[in-house]
Amino acid sequence: MNAIKYVSFLLLVAAMLLPTACQKDFLDRKPIVGTTEENFYRTAEDAQAAINAAYAPLQFELSPAGHFRWFWGDIMSDDSEKGGSGDNDANELLQLENFNGAANTDLLEGEWSADYEGIYRANVVLERVPAIEMDPTLKAQILGEARFIRSWFFYNLVTMFGGVPLADHVLAPSEYNLPRATADEVWMLIESDLNQAIEDLPVRSAYGPEDLGRITKGAAQALLLKSLVWQKRWPEAQAIAEEIILSMEYDLASDYGSIFTQDGENNIESIFEIQYMNASGGNWGKNNANEGTFTNVFQRARGQFEGFGFNIPTEDFVQEFFKEGFEDPRLAHTVFREGDAMGDRGVFTQDAAGQPYAYYPKKYFNNKSEEAPFGDPNPNGGSNDRVIRFADVLLMHAEAAYHNNMEGPARTSLNRVRARARGGNTNILPDVTASGQALLDAIYHERRVELGLEGHRFFDLVRTGRASDVLGPLGFVSGIHELFPIPVSQIQATNGAITQNPGY
Amino acid sequence: MKKIYILFLALFSLSSLYGQREVTGQITDASNQEPLIGVTVRIQGKTEGAISDLDGKYRLSGVDDQTVLEFSYSGMKTKLETVGNRSVIDVQLDENISLIDEVVIVGYGSQKRSNISGAVSSVTAEEIAELPVLRVEQALQGLTAGVQVTQNSGSPGSPLTVRVRGTGTINNSDPLYIVDGIPVDGLDFLNPNDIESINVLKDAASAAIYGARGANGVVLITTKTGKKNEQGLIHYDAYVGMQSAWKKTNLLSASEYAMLSNEAHIAAGKTPLPEFADPSALGAGTDWLDAIFTEAPMASHQLTFTGGSEKSTYSVSGNYFDQDGIVGGEKSGFKRFTARINGSHEVKPWLTVGTNLGLTNLKRNFLPENNEFTTPLVRALNMDPVTPIRKADGTYAYSRYADTDIVNPLNAIDQTHNSWNSNRIVGTAFGVIKLAKGLQFRSSYSVDATFAQQDIFFPRFDLSNDPNLSDAPAGEKNLTNSVVIQHNKWQTWQWENVLTWETQIGSLHHFTITGGTTALENSHEYSGGANTNLPSNDPKDAYIANTIDPITSQSAYSGADESSLLSFFGRVNYDLNDRYLLSAALRSDGSSRFGANNRFGTFPSVSAGWIISHEEFWNLPKVDFLKIRASWGLNGNDRIGNYGFTSVVLSGQNYTFGSGEVITNGSVPLTVSNPDLRWESIEQTDIGLDAEFFEGRLSLVVDYYQKNTSGMLYAAPIPLTVGANPPIRNIASVQNTGWETALSYRNQAGAFKYSFGGNISFVKNKVTSLGEGGEPVFAGRVQSANANVTKTEVGQPIGSMFGFVTDGIFQNQEEINNHAFQNEGTAPGDIRFVDLNNDGVINQDDQTYIGNPIPDFTYGFNADLEWKGFDLGLFFQGSQGNDIYNATVRYDFTYVNRPVDVLNRWTGPGTSNSQPRVNLNDPNQNARVSDRFVEDGSYIRLKNAQIGYSLPRTILDRMHIQKFRVYASAQNLITITKYSGMDPEIGAYNGALEAGIDRGFYPQARVYLAGVNLTF
Repeated sequence: MNAIKYVSFLLLVAAMLLPTACQKDFLDRKPIVGTTEENFYRTAEDAQAAINAAYAPLQFELSPAGHFRWFWGDIMSDDSEKGGSGDNDANELLQLENFNGAANTDLLEGEWSADYEGIYRANVVLERVPAIEMDPTLKAQILGEARFIRSWFFYNLVTMFGGVPLADHVLAPSEYNLPRATADEVWMLIESDLNQAIEDLPVRSAYGPEDLGRITKGAAQALLLKSLVWQKRWPEAQAIAEEIILSMEYDLASDYGSIFTQDGENNIESIFEIQYMNASGGNWGKNNANEGTFTNVFQRARGQFEGFGFNIPTEDFVQEFFKEGFEDPRLAHTVFREGDAMGDRGVFTQDAAGQPYAYYPKKYFNNKSEEAPFGDPNPNGGSNDRVIRFADVLLMHAEAAYHNNMEGPARTSLNRVRARARGGNTNILPDVTASGQALLDAIYHERRVELGLEGHRFFDLVRTGRASDVLGPLGFVSGIHELFPIPVSQIQATNGAITQNPGY
Repeated sequence: MKKIYILFLALFSLSSLYGQREVTGQITDASNQEPLIGVTVRIQGKTEGAISDLDGKYRLSGVDDQTVLEFSYSGMKTKLETVGNRSVIDVQLDENISLIDEVVIVGYGSQKRSNISGAVSSVTAEEIAELPVLRVEQALQGLTAGVQVTQNSGSPGSPLTVRVRGTGTINNSDPLYIVDGIPVDGLDFLNPNDIESINVLKDAASAAIYGARGANGVVLITTKTGKKNEQGLIHYDAYVGMQSAWKKTNLLSASEYAMLSNEAHIAAGKTPLPEFADPSALGAGTDWLDAIFTEAPMASHQLTFTGGSEKSTYSVSGNYFDQDGIVGGEKSGFKRFTARINGSHEVKPWLTVGTNLGLTNLKRNFLPENNEFTTPLVRALNMDPVTPIRKADGTYAYSRYADTDIVNPLNAIDQTHNSWNSNRIVGTAFGVIKLAKGLQFRSSYSVDATFAQQDIFFPRFDLSNDPNLSDAPAGEKNLTNSVVIQHNKWQTWQWENVLTWETQIGSLHHFTITGGTTALENSHEYSGGANTNLPSNDPKDAYIANTIDPITSQSAYSGADESSLLSFFGRVNYDLNDRYLLSAALRSDGSSRFGANNRFGTFPSVSAGWIISHEEFWNLPKVDFLKIRASWGLNGNDRIGNYGFTSVVLSGQNYTFGSGEVITNGSVPLTVSNPDLRWESIEQTDIGLDAEFFEGRLSLVVDYYQKNTSGMLYAAPIPLTVGANPPIRNIASVQNTGWETALSYRNQAGAFKYSFGGNISFVKNKVTSLGEGGEPVFAGRVQSANANVTKTEVGQPIGSMFGFVTDGIFQNQEEINNHAFQNEGTAPGDIRFVDLNNDGVINQDDQTYIGNPIPDFTYGFNADLEWKGFDLGLFFQGSQGNDIYNATVRYDFTYVNRPVDVLNRWTGPGTSNSQPRVNLNDPNQNARVSDRFVEDGSYIRLKNAQIGYSLPRTILDRMHIQKFRVYASAQNLITITKYSGMDPEIGAYNGALEAGIDRGFYPQARVYLAGVNLTF
């Protein structure tokens, strides 16, 4: 009897040890349903959804995460002023514009936040997609898109803030207080990412119409070009610019005026364009889920034009179009002057707009008929953001060639842009024949009028060293204002691991 | 030595045939001379014996002059009698009133109370029987020091908030419930009548044996079983009762409402409503509170069979419980059927097997509770009194004034069809093997399975005066009906193996060594569906397929989740000469809920006690027992969600692609995952004292503790560099410090027996960390102010109320001019807010802490008197020093009704310094979150008053009945409170961060019951 007793006890003890033996499996429970990190990233569709999510922050505009390129590129420059209903309307922006902005603005935090959100999402793709079994060409393309997106957001950060924390992977909790890297380190990551993306991405014509808006090889080349130009690496810049030009994937649109119309979206000279549409149904509270842009309503005149009247062109900017002794025809496509018809919204007068501004920006104007068919039209503007146009590439090529002492090719590219602007009117915009500093000045002038109010000016002034001359009277101090202040909240959130830029 | 001598003599005499004879006798209760049934009579040192019969009589053979008889009976002092030359030995047993000798169930074992060195509170079946509790948690309320129990809602079947020694975390602070060794979620399935005892393990050392689950205390519940050698008994226990609202807020009559409406319009520069031209003509109008409250019946019937033989015990019971709600009657009703079979059998001398099995079917109907939008209470409180309940044609009327949420509450109740029907099996099968003397092995396999169905039906209705015009507002009509059905299946199995070795070295060193393992798996599956536009509007036809076109309009979903736990534990209890006690426990828990980097947690504890009164030198005759004890331990809280370590991939992160501008889905985890995720841990130190005086008549327990929660889960803000929302991390901490004491006195004077008991618990709660940066947490949004009421910040109690401080009413314009700027529209009669930072403007920087939802102390006390068959019991329970934020009036709407206090409003200089003027627009934001809405939530409540009468033995004997008692009781008969709302007893319905906000609680009922207890 005792034997039975002990045998049964031993059997139970043996059975008890069973779960112990396979404890790893027993305790390893992954979510069964619902999409979680554990069960996502398995198919090509998952990879596609992952890369699409990385595109979404390109559209982010308002706090808590987002930016308007024209806030920094135009309003911070001598081309335009904040505008709005008065000084108290987005007062933070006015202070930044006057170069006495504080480091604790929602705007800067929004920029920082949107950039890193985009970087995080690209990092997720770069970490998760390689393990998915799928068509290798599509996989390479998706990874290329992710590398471009990561580069784009780092480009925003490095050109605005200098060296920033180099989040080149999804950060673990122990890495949250990542300190700033140097600007050179950021540029190196951008360059290696873009070189890889150039290898992996299809050219524009290789995409089907359903993929319109996806990042192309040309876009990666163009962003690399911008990066090289910023770093004044002229020979490499000229080479990559020539690759783009010779790819024959892009050309100038024949009619300058058509570029910023609805029909002009994703046209022949579009290299990188952030896509927006007018029918997402998004609203003010959920602006990051929008497919539409606020740029349309923000830049429209107030009053009967139902806008908010931001980004008001300066007299100095308008006068730039008269510098050559005639009115550059591009002015009429860049700025509304009194008496101009504002599309189907009526004729612009200061009375109709209810404000004492003589000019309004035109490139991102939208017609009433183009507004969102349902929901609140304000957050749902449909105009794409033309980030990199072929004209920009040609002008960067001209600038690089000039610095490489190749004035001939420089003048060729410059004059190609002027010829299109001329539109057959031989009385204006003659070919530039100058050389030396006069040629460089001509290129600078051409950038200002050709790319006016497209978010380039402030950064052009900073990278070419002209900012203190041009913006000094507006408060710009050399050695400080080339960079924006790091958002104070982020210095605090990292216990000071992130340091402030000099002068702030 | 003496014992052995007696034993030797006994054996010697047994062997000599002619020394043996027989004794008989009767055993009675010394207090009332009534016979005691089932007393064990044994020859000391031997196993054979006899049991007293229905008349208390026994017969035992094989004794001689030297035989010592041992008479033992539960609850009575054991008595020894030497036979001598007697052949009839009648014995009177005295009640054992000392608590020290009671056996207390602790984790994986039991211990004599005198030898426990941790902090454990107990509630016995008798205490539960005294107040007919509807839910198990109520049995803990006011009866156990250190345990705060508050009713979340007076709705039948609603769970209660139970906090053992304070609020341990901003997350789930519920204790771990173990019923007969089975961990269970929620106690609604359990019939209180089936409970033998409830023991609450309060300190870390007692709870540490439950490791990663014990941090918020452990409630061990044991159900009734029969006893060995007990004669078969049949118990019938039943009561019926009637419930009603104990309080109604006084609201404005129709004429008062109209008068104030006119004033409010004029103050806002608007024309008063023409129909209110003569307010007095409107009369009293509708009393909506009166309309929604109803008298609600309740009843319980229980039949129990218990008994036991030499080798077996059994207990079989069945119960039917039915309670309607005082709001909506059956619409918030609760019905429960339970059946329980507990039994065990000694198969072999070394093997006992048994089973505890409970079956429950319950049905609960739901009305919306505790929100400001859809509850009958908030609607009745806010609905204007001008609107009649019904139109002339008998159909429900709608209000022309009320806004969206405030609809006719009676119609809304009628249109609510939301029921929960579940079947639950909670059972365990066990075997105990006696391996050697003192060494036993217990293996048990348990299952807890719940199968539940929820049926929701939204009928078509339209309160429009003219259906063609459809003039009723959106909330008063629903033109498309719909049905939702959801099935849930929860299953838990647990296999537990425990080895216990009781031994002693010499006569001084006693050891109890326990070791064991647990494997447990939880799984949950759900499926459900919905459909709209059913041709039939009858709830009985509300099935998903009952539509004209079932396929295109229906939706369906299903899913599942699971978790598992694997544990190893051990404990050593050592007692030296019954004087020095030492206990140490260690548990290691592996849980699938913890991230891969922290799969196992280890939880140690140690406790020690010194029974000073057992020392030789002890010579205080009035103090029979004195023990001091101290404990320290570490526990965990594993209620952190099943997959907290991973993160959800959210779709909808879209972008536009293609020449046709197609919105294309993108998916990304918006929150970072945290593979380091682990349990919340609580470290607790306890020192305590147990004492008894005057032969056990007076007993005292005192405890002081400090409980530090660390690694509390919180999604603290992180640097934006991360690019995603902050993960939930183990970063915050909370401290609870407190002391608690329980005192009881019982005595007897002739036929008069009495006992008094009381306990009081003090606790202070403080958040000690919210992670790096320590950003405060704002929560508890109230609609009336459209703002958060609570702020949880380092250094403050969890969920402290935060807002503006009022300083009376502006009596004239000059006072406004001399005060800090408040609002453009501020006018005489508006509230003056204190400019706390003296910057000349009242803004968000002038907010401060204005209330604490956590009581300074909670208490309970009871008195029980017995005299010649009559018994009287009174039980009071209360809470002191907690604040309630009264958010029941929807100030965000202009046309709502108000409590009558508003009649004392400011109407001119000097008229009021507390009630502001009425104004339709509230330009001064008088309704903002301020101390104006913070009220003292203290209360004392006569929870139960009961009077009973038991028939005397002389009559019962003739009827062959053991016990017949009838009683009447009243619950919530008296409530003393300053709180102006419907009920001061408010639980943490939405969790610790929003405790103490009254958004329209379903108040508790006053209950009158009559019942009977019959045993035969």
